[in-house]
Amino acid sequence: MGEALEKSRVTNLPGPFAVGTYARKLQGWMRERARVQLIGEVTGVGRSKVQAYFELRDSEGAVPCAIWLNDLEKAGLTEGSLRDGAEVVISGGLDYYPGGGHASPNFCFRATHLRLAGEGDLIARLEALRKELRAEGLFELQKQLHRPALPKAIGVVTAETGAARRDLCAGLERRGWGGSVIWGFAPVQDRHAAPAIGRALQDLAARPEVEAIVVTRGGGSLADLWAFCDETLCRTVAMLRVPVISAVGHERDKTLIDDVAAVACSTPTHAAEAAVPLDCLAARESLERCAVGLRRAGEGAIAHRSRHLGALARGPARALQRERGLLNQKIREIRAASERGLADRANRQERIGGVVLERARRRALGADMEKRRDALKRAEVALRAHEPERTLERGYALVEGGGGEPVTTAEAATAAGEVKLRFADGRVRARIDAAGDGGGERER
Amino acid sequence: MQPATGAASVSDSPESYEAAVERLEEIIDRLDSGQAGLRETLDLCREGRELVKYCAAELDEVGEGLKELRLDDLAARLESETA
Repeated sequence: MGEALEKSRVTNLPGPFAVGTYARKLQGWMRERARVQLIGEVTGVGRSKVQAYFELRDSEGAVPCAIWLNDLEKAGLTEGSLRDGAEVVISGGLDYYPGGGHASPNFCFRATHLRLAGEGDLIARLEALRKELRAEGLFELQKQLHRPALPKAIGVVTAETGAARRDLCAGLERRGWGGSVIWGFAPVQDRHAAPAIGRALQDLAARPEVEAIVVTRGGGSLADLWAFCDETLCRTVAMLRVPVISAVGHERDKTLIDDVAAVACSTPTHAAEAAVPLDCLAARESLERCAVGLRRAGEGAIAHRSRHLGALARGPARALQRERGLLNQKIREIRAASERGLADRANRQERIGGVVLERARRRALGADMEKRRDALKRAEVALRAHEPERTLERGYALVEGGGGEPVTTAEAATAAGEVKLRFADGRVRARIDAAGDGGGERER
Repeated sequence: MQPATGAASVSDSPESYEAAVERLEEIIDRLDSGQAGLRETLDLCREGRELVKYCAAELDEVGEGLKELRLDDLAARLESETA
């Protein structure tokens, strides 16, 4: 059933046409295709009497090309310019030679114009590649890899003969680094370079002892360095597990491998520093200082604490001495205070004694006075009983002279002539009349 | 008093030269701070000496001049060994 259907399909196709007719039509169809420019590397250059033929190739594929010799002459190239490895730009379109009864058919890109690729062409191509790889994130992969400060072994991809190799070794030795260098020698300039460099990188990365890889070559034109812009090579570098340090060309040269590598350096010397970040000579000195510092710290800690402990051990005796001094001071103060207190107390007691004695004396005097006062009172009463006033109060009168002196005799009264009679309630004047007494007889 | 950063056991080998140097710097900083007690100081000094010894050994390994090998020779040697 299936076979019959298939047979039916095949037999139902148009034709059969004569192959020569078809070949002519195919030629016409191809020649009607758009004319374009191609850029790539020339390989397999050959010449016939009328044309030159070659393949135009890059890492992705190739196209067979041919150019009539008269068109080639118009390009004005110098002798030998069209050679294997040359980067060229060709203009033209598809062509097909249908052959004949005895001639073989042939397909090619018929170039009508050819020129060597200039810096501008390569830069444009490089930028397109750069954009593509960046968009895929291939620039970041290598930069995320850890680069050991002190690798024991590094791989180096470079030309076996060249200044880059010598400069790299000198740079490593200047850092005092004497580890293993595994050389992966490869051509660094032609169409074989990129695949060879890629293989060397992969082989080095496969070795477990290799901790970093340097890819380096000296300066040149962009065309000379073009192998390091190879797309396949750059994709290979991006995927490696070992960090790659690129040092291709001089400072101004910027190849695609610089973008995908972990580190891009301007010179092999700089690459040596990137491959072995640790300056071993400086590290040894630093380590020596650390060792000295640690020794001092250990010994110093013990010595310091010994001194501290010694001070602590002497502390109690010192404190005791201090306390003893304070105590003696207190004793002296207490003694002085005590002596002052005794004197004060003696004075005070003396004062109190005086007061007591005084009070006792006064008390004693008081009792005596009372007795005396009583006696006095009694005497006063007795005296009062004898006072003239008492007599006067009973009705007697006292005769007083002019000066208040008592006149106690009649004679004195007569002599005075005038006297005062003192009664209990006052005095009155009186005149003594001697005649009135009858002859001088005195009343008794 | 406990150390400010976890003191690694002296018997633990550092992961790498960088790790050893980083730890050594921590130790020096801690000692310089004057805050470590006697026991911690002595422990740190012991650990530091081990790290210095480790780092010196690492430097010694790459201190005897470049040893240059060819990838081709290594590959050929590997092939002959496996053959």
